[in-house]
Amino acid sequence: MLTAIVIFVGLALVFGLLLGYAAVRFKVEGNPMAEQIDKILPQTQCGQCNYPGCKPYAEALAKGEADVNLCIPGGNEVMLSIAEITGLEPKALDESVAAEHTPKETAFIDEDVCIGCVLCIKACPVDAIIGATKLMHTVIQSECTGCDKCAPVCPVDCIEMRAPETTLETWQWPEPTSEPKPLASQYLDVNSTTEQRQ
Amino acid sequence: MMTRSPFSRTIIQGIAAVYPMAKRWLHRFHGGIYPKHHKSRSLQHPIKETFIAETLTLPIKTTRGQKIEWLVQVGDTVQKNQCLVQAAKENKKGFFVPLHAPTSGTIKAITEAEFPHPSGLTTQAIIIAPDFKQTTLQNALKVSGKQPDSPQKLKDILLHAGIVGLGGAGFPTYAKIPAQKDRIHTLIINGAECEPFITCDDVLMQTQAEPILQGAEIVAQALGVKQIVCGIESNKPQAIQAMQTAANQIKSVPITVKTVEAVYPMGGEKQLVLELTGIEMPVKTHAIDSGLLVFNVATFAAIFKAVTQGEPLTQRLVTVAGFELQTPYNTYALLGTPFIDLVNAGQPKNPIQYPLIMGGPMMGFQVAHNEVPVIKTTNCILANPPEPSTFTMPCIRCGECMDACPVNLLPQQLYWHSQAHEFDKVEKLNVFDCIECGCCSYVCPSHIPLVQYYRHAKSEIKTLHAEQQAAELAKQRYEFRLARIEREKQEREARLKAKKEAVKKHSPTAEPGKSAPKKPSVAAAAARAAAAKRAAAKANKNTEHSGTDEQKSPPLSARQKAIETAQKQAAAKVGSKVATAKDPRDSAKKSAKKAAVIAAAKRRTQAQKTTDTITTEEKKVTPQPPSNIATAPPLEDAKAKRQKAMEAAKKRAAERKARQSKQEKTE
Repeated sequence: MLTAIVIFVGLALVFGLLLGYAAVRFKVEGNPMAEQIDKILPQTQCGQCNYPGCKPYAEALAKGEADVNLCIPGGNEVMLSIAEITGLEPKALDESVAAEHTPKETAFIDEDVCIGCVLCIKACPVDAIIGATKLMHTVIQSECTGCDKCAPVCPVDCIEMRAPETTLETWQWPEPTSEPKPLASQYLDVNSTTEQRQ
Repeated sequence: MMTRSPFSRTIIQGIAAVYPMAKRWLHRFHGGIYPKHHKSRSLQHPIKETFIAETLTLPIKTTRGQKIEWLVQVGDTVQKNQCLVQAAKENKKGFFVPLHAPTSGTIKAITEAEFPHPSGLTTQAIIIAPDFKQTTLQNALKVSGKQPDSPQKLKDILLHAGIVGLGGAGFPTYAKIPAQKDRIHTLIINGAECEPFITCDDVLMQTQAEPILQGAEIVAQALGVKQIVCGIESNKPQAIQAMQTAANQIKSVPITVKTVEAVYPMGGEKQLVLELTGIEMPVKTHAIDSGLLVFNVATFAAIFKAVTQGEPLTQRLVTVAGFELQTPYNTYALLGTPFIDLVNAGQPKNPIQYPLIMGGPMMGFQVAHNEVPVIKTTNCILANPPEPSTFTMPCIRCGECMDACPVNLLPQQLYWHSQAHEFDKVEKLNVFDCIECGCCSYVCPSHIPLVQYYRHAKSEIKTLHAEQQAAELAKQRYEFRLARIEREKQEREARLKAKKEAVKKHSPTAEPGKSAPKKPSVAAAAARAAAAKRAAAKANKNTEHSGTDEQKSPPLSARQKAIETAQKQAAAKVGSKVATAKDPRDSAKKSAKKAAVIAAAKRRTQAQKTTDTITTEEKKVTPQPPSNIATAPPLEDAKAKRQKAMEAAKKRAAERKARQSKQEKTE
C-alpha cells in the first residue's frame, strides 16, 4: 500500500518535473496557429473581414474571436482550410457572390482623369501605386493584390478593377466536361483503318 | 536488359500472338502503345514543291517582360532570309530567337494575329505580302562556312539562325547547348518518329541523310562529343538504310545507327535515351545533366544549313495528312503559310468544315481557326473529321492506363485526384513528369479524356503556385509598409520635438530688447500653443485609430480653437505690454511680437502640413474654420486651386460617364 503510494507520488513528481522542464525548454514563441492561418490566407490585405489585414484576422482566429467564414477573396477553399486548422465547424460564406471563385482583378488608373491626390497611394496596403502629389499615379500590376481599397477613396472615380488579360502564357487548359469532345486518338480506332474507309 | 537476341524476339512475338501486350517486353521503357501507323499514304508521294501563299503571317510569341527589337517597318521590302525581329539587347528574360523572312515581298502589316494554339489567342504578328520572286539574301548569317571550334561560336550561329527544336517542343536550340566543351559524351539523333500519320522526319532522313549527319558532326566537333547514336524506328527501313550509308562516310566521330522498336512514344526524349543508352534520366533533370544531348533529325539539317550556308530557319518539312485527303503529302512549307491552303493542296474529299489538328493524332491539338499559319514547330497538319463523340463512362479501375504509362506514373490516381480538385495530391504523384503522350487516354476502355485532366491539373497547379508567390510578396510588402509607417511616425515626432526645442531656445534669443517682463509672456504663449498642438496631435492619433469622421472632426476644431485662443492671448498680452511700456523699448517689443507671430505661423503651417495629408478627406467634410483663412491665406489659395481642379476632374469624369452611357444606349 505504502510502496504503491510512494511509487506513484514519485512518478508524478518525476513526470511533473519533466513536463515543467519541457514547458520551459521547448517553449514556442508566439501562436503557431496564427502563423499557420496567416500562411493560407490570400494576403490581399483587403480588410473585407473587418480586420485591418490578413495577419490580424489570423491572430483573431487563433484566439477564437473571429468566424472562419470572413475571408471573402479566399473563398470556400480558404474557409475549409481555416476550419481544419482551428478545428471549428466550417461555415458557409456570407455573400453568395463570394462563394464563386472569381478571377483575381487588379486596379487600373485612368491616367487622363487622375488629379494626383495621393489618396489611393495612402489606401494601398501593399504600396503598389506610384505617383506624387499633383502628378499622375499608376498601378504596378504585378504587385496589385486586387483588394479594391483604392477605388472608393478616389475623388474623381478614375480607378477601375479589371480582370487580367489571358495570354498564351496564362491560358489554362479547360477542365474536361462529362461529355467530352471526341478524342483525337479515337480516329485511330482499330476497326476503322484507312483501307476500310476507302 | 540489353537488346533482345533474334531468338528471344521470335519467342516474344510468338507469345504476342496470344498475349498482345507481350510486345512491350521488346523495348526498355515501361508501357507504350501500338496504334495504327497510317504513314504509308503520305510516303507514296514525292516531296511537293514549295508553294507560296498570298500572305504569310509570322506570329511572334514572347513571354512576359521579354523585349524585342523590330528590324522592319510596315511597307518595307524584304528579301528571303532577312532578319525581321530579334531579341533586344537589354532583354534579360527568357529565350527569344530571331525570325527571318521566309520569302521576298513587302511587309503588309504588323498586327495581332492568331497563334496556332488550342486557345485561339492572338499575338503580335508580321504579315508579309510575297512578290513571288524569291530574291534571296545569300549567306544571311554571314558565316565563314568553317566548322565552329567552340560551343560558344556554334551557339551564336544557331541563335542568329533562329533554330528551335523541330521535333515539337520548340525549345531554342542554342539554349540547349552547353557553353563548356566536353560536357556531352553522347549526341543522340532522334529519328524515331512515333506519332501516327507523321512522315516528315522519315522523308527527311531518306532525302537528306548526309546534311543531317554532317549537322550532327558539326555539333559533335564543336562540343567534343565522343560518339553519335541515331535511333530510328523499325517501320522506316528506307530511312535506316539511307542513314546507314551516310553514316559510313563520316570518319571523325563514331556514328551508330540503331533500329528501335516501333512503339509509341519511342520518340519521347527520355524514352529514346533509355532505349539507346540504358540511361534513365532522373526526375527534374535534363538530358544534359546525364551528359547527353538529343536533337531531332530536322534540327540537325537546319544546323547544317545555318553553319555551312548561313541560311536561317525559314521553312520546314511538314506532313499534310488525314483521312479526308486524297493525296496526303510532305512539303517544305514556308513559315507563315495558312494551314487551310496546305490542306486544300492535298485535295480534300469534302470542303474542310471542322478544326484541323496541328501535330499528330496523339499529342496534337485542334486549332481554333483553320487559317492559322505554319510555325517552326508545325510538323504535321491533320485533316481528320471529328467522329461522333463517345460517351465517357465511369472509371472501372482496370489499370490499363497504369500499364501503358511510359513514365511509370499512376494515371488512375492522378485522374481521381484531378477530378476532385485535390491538386496538392496530384502534384505529389508527379504530374509534372507526365509527358502528355496520351497513352492512357488511348487505352482507356471508358474513354475518359485522362490527359485533358492532367493538362488542366498542371495549369491549375501552376496558377496556385503563382498565387502563393504573389501572396508571399504581398505579405512582405504589407509588413514593410506597416514598418515604414511606424518609422515615419517616429521620425515625425522626433522632428517635431527637435523643432519645439529649437523654438524654445530661439524665442528668448530672438528678443534683442532684453526686457525681462516680456520674455515669460511670449514663451508662455509658445508653450501653450505647443501644448495645444500636442493635445491635438494626440487626439488626432487616437481618432486615426478609431477611424470615423465624426470622431475626428471635433478634436481638430478644438485644436484650432486652442491655437487661436493662445494666439489671441499672446497678442493681447504683448499688446498690453507694448501699450504700457516706455518709448525706447517700443521697437524692441515690436520685433519681438513679429517674431512671435512668425513662429506661430510657422508652427501652424507645420502642423497643417503634417495633418493635411492624413485628414484631407475629413477636411472635405468639415470646412476649414475661418481663423485659418485669416492667418494662412497662401495655404487656402492652394487648397482652393486643388478644389477647383478636383471639381473640374469630377465634371470631366461625369461627362465621360454620360458619353459612355450614351454610347451604350446607341449601341
